[in-house]
Amino acid sequence: MMNANEPLILAVPKGRILKEVGPLMARAGVEPEADFYNDTSRRLQFATGDPGLEIIRVRSFDTATFLAFGAAHLAICGSDVLMEFDHPEIYSPVDLKVGRCRLSVAEPIELAANEDPRRWSHLRIATKYPNVTRRHFAARGVQAECIKLNGAMELAPRLGLCRRIVDLVQTGSTLEANGLVEVEKIAEISSRLAINRAALKTRPNAVNMWVDRFREATLAA
Amino acid sequence: MSPPDKQSALTRRALLPAGLRDVLPPDAAHEAMTVESLIGCFETHGYERVKPPLVEFEDSLFSGPGAAMTESTFRLMDPVSRRMMGVRTDVTVQVARIAATRLGHLPRPLRLCYSGEVLRVTPGDLNPERELVQVGAELVGTDTVDADAEVILLAADGLRKVGVERMSVDITAPRLVPELLPALGIDGAASPDLRMAIDRKDLATVKRLAGDAADMLTQLMAAAGGRTEGLERLAKLALPAAVRPIVARLEAVTSLVAAEEPALEVTIDPVENRGFEYYTGLGFSLFSRGVRGELGRGGRYLVDGVQSESSCGLTLYMETVIRAVATRLAVDRLYLPKGTARSVGAALRDQGWVTVAGLDPDIEAIGDAARLGCTHILRDGASVALEAIQATHKS
Repeated sequence: MMNANEPLILAVPKGRILKEVGPLMARAGVEPEADFYNDTSRRLQFATGDPGLEIIRVRSFDTATFLAFGAAHLAICGSDVLMEFDHPEIYSPVDLKVGRCRLSVAEPIELAANEDPRRWSHLRIATKYPNVTRRHFAARGVQAECIKLNGAMELAPRLGLCRRIVDLVQTGSTLEANGLVEVEKIAEISSRLAINRAALKTRPNAVNMWVDRFREATLAA
Repeated sequence: MSPPDKQSALTRRALLPAGLRDVLPPDAAHEAMTVESLIGCFETHGYERVKPPLVEFEDSLFSGPGAAMTESTFRLMDPVSRRMMGVRTDVTVQVARIAATRLGHLPRPLRLCYSGEVLRVTPGDLNPERELVQVGAELVGTDTVDADAEVILLAADGLRKVGVERMSVDITAPRLVPELLPALGIDGAASPDLRMAIDRKDLATVKRLAGDAADMLTQLMAAAGGRTEGLERLAKLALPAAVRPIVARLEAVTSLVAAEEPALEVTIDPVENRGFEYYTGLGFSLFSRGVRGELGRGGRYLVDGVQSESSCGLTLYMETVIRAVATRLAVDRLYLPKGTARSVGAALRDQGWVTVAGLDPDIEAIGDAARLGCTHILRDGASVALEAIQATHKS
């Protein structure tokens, strides 16, 4: 069982987002030890300037999992991941306004020119987001058969795996380079500060303090 | 021991369907003891035990609060009546049925309690188990602040008796948001997205969707947290008259619970609704700091009968409660060598010993006692610790 004074754990995604999130964390008063920003470090857990807060560095999809199970109490988490794991144990109180992009449906240019979406009953779609994709198409009465890929989605249509993909789009240049065009936006995406429900209920003061600090940090930006 | 043979039929027989498991010693005894102490505690508060069946016709199982469980119910066809039956996913619905029918003539308030297994097709997100044990109590046919508080305090009392520490209760008002939105003039079309954002405490989206109501909603959301600060924030809000009774009830019950149980940490969350959809009044969740997930939850709902009755109930989830309870210390077991008189054993059991009888007259008693996991052995009419004997042998 966890000790009453045990530190809160903040899960932070590895990779691209980290560079954008760093300044924000600094404004919120999160000061990770130096090793945290060292990409070659193999460590996964880091202390901060505050003995009441530790950081773990995990893959972006895993932030929500750590959070849902209460293994982390706070997380910086893309709203794409939160949508995919729509989980009653997770709250997402702060829009950090970084890592902005959109989650979209894309398909080959020639296909987009010659089809009538009203006739769809079944689509096969390659995506990292099968739950979001299924929900999105089910809402208009279309069955989406999802092929789960973890990356390089843009290759799927060209090599005949399937004709459509659902993926994050930032500038659209990757799509263009692969002969694809964005046909529909499912959602605007940005990073959120998310919290574990039980952590908020059992340690309301400590958790709310970090929520407030991150909220102020986004306003200061 | 050699590793199990992957091909053997015996090994294959050990595999159970997903989400089902064997509970072994000492866990099975520990669980049973915890269930019995909880029920025992509820009984001392005047709650009488009922025992509904494991399976009933699906239409009775899915009435009222059961409606949400249709997708997670195992169904089977009754070859006798040729009607569809369901395995219960929740006992509350069954107790509500009993209160409305067979015990409908008893004076109110009616206090009932129960324990039992439930089965779910799809496991919860956090718990892979499909078979769960519930212990609960229902206070039927009275709708007062004291009744709400009684049920919350009953849960706290039971959990403390089985050894749960650092408990906290979160008291919610699930009807507040559904009734506040129309009162603020937010129409039905905009409200599903808004309600989802409120459920997720997604402040940015609430601000974007709520228009003029954004200010009030964000302040309401900010009231979630510690009781004192939360109630202060609520008191400052100029809420529409239509929802003021809901907030007044939340405040009254919260204050009463805190006054009666100063050691219990009380938090409030006026906007929580997800998972509490069928409640018609207050809701609450029980936590123990450091234990993942809820120990239990409850709230006020309507029992359909000749006349609808307002009731308040609580359900404790044993798989979480067990995690919050310190593991029971190992029990002392006393070895009775073959030939010990039956009356000697009986007298020792009366003193509280757990006895294990040796069955083989030719076996060396001390070795046999150790082999069977005994801590003591009966020698010359007295119990002697095995450790003491082994220590003298060594020296």
